[in-house]
Amino acid sequence: MPRLDRLPQISRNSLLTFPAQVNESAPFVRPAKPLSACRLAIVTTAGLHRRGDRLFTPGDQTYRVLPTETPTVDIIQSHTSIGFDRVPTMRDVNICFPIDRLRELIARGELGGLGPSGYSFMGAQREVTRIEGETGPEVGRRLRDEGVDVALITPT
Amino acid sequence: MLARALEQAGVSTTSISLVREHTEKVKPPRALFVPFPFGMALGRPGDPELQHRVLRAALDLLAESAGPVLRDFPEDAEPGDQPAAPPQASGIAPAAQVPDDVAMETTQMRRYHERWLEKNGGRTHLGLSGIPATRFRGVVRFLEEFADGREAEMTERPPDVPLPNFIRYCADDLKTLYFEGHLAMKPAAGGEEIARWFWGETGAGRLLRRVRDRLDASTDPRWKAAAFGIAR
Repeated sequence: MPRLDRLPQISRNSLLTFPAQVNESAPFVRPAKPLSACRLAIVTTAGLHRRGDRLFTPGDQTYRVLPTETPTVDIIQSHTSIGFDRVPTMRDVNICFPIDRLRELIARGELGGLGPSGYSFMGAQREVTRIEGETGPEVGRRLRDEGVDVALITPT
Repeated sequence: MLARALEQAGVSTTSISLVREHTEKVKPPRALFVPFPFGMALGRPGDPELQHRVLRAALDLLAESAGPVLRDFPEDAEPGDQPAAPPQASGIAPAAQVPDDVAMETTQMRRYHERWLEKNGGRTHLGLSGIPATRFRGVVRFLEEFADGREAEMTERPPDVPLPNFIRYCADDLKTLYFEGHLAMKPAAGGEEIARWFWGETGAGRLLRRVRDRLDASTDPRWKAAAFGIAR
């Protein structure tokens, strides 16, 4: 769940006909350090950004920077869809952007730290050429330049 | 797909997946499939223990020596949790009597919403239209004029935001005011209960159905897309 058999038929059909990319293998970079020494950044596809930042529009393949120090009260979601319930995110942003949980892991010594920024895209897109060829690699380079070892990718 | 682009840049990734069928095809380097509804990737709002278990399971994949790895989170959603998808307006019958004066209803909702802000340290999803809640009576009038088929405009609409997009943002902000206001009244309410109340019993719900109808009657695909995003 959404296990497809539990979804309404219209949602199930929409997901089954979704043009997901088909790959045979995956690039694979093993972290060079234990997690307790790694710097992590959240990269979310939940369409989040700072209040006042440029809103996501239909088909938008750009990204927004979410500085790690952004107070969660300043984070809003402009990807709204009737396909997902916004109530959980209204109640607790950690449901798709687990920033408080990550800070708790750092306090416990289980995670090294956070990069200076998180990044946000809009998910559920049918056309992703630009994310694949331009904006995705750009975020990859930014993360690398910011000394980030691990990206946690979260959907909504 | 995004994970693959980041990994190619040299950053290790671990992803949370909500649709196993898609993840099997895309093959991100490391993914944890979670059996939760859309909007609930980390499990349940306000349940830090469950969120930590999900996070831990996703981070554990970083220890794998080869990929792609796709693992299932072992805990299923509990009975009584959210439905897999929120109910749509078309599946909810409006009550025989709903308030006629939406502007007044909205003003009342604002009082509940202020309570929500107090309880949540100011946290709100409002902000897409750029119009503060204190001026939502104006938003309601604008949406009513549009629904009535009149020439509707708001001076607050930025020149680079097309009318249907702006209407969508206004509708989303109005929904947020009501949904968060309802949560202030009934903190334990789930998305399904709130949707049934909003679409069934409020004047705002009825207004947004009419806004949807006018947008949907257009032949312009951008108007139709906005209609689909407001109510289905």
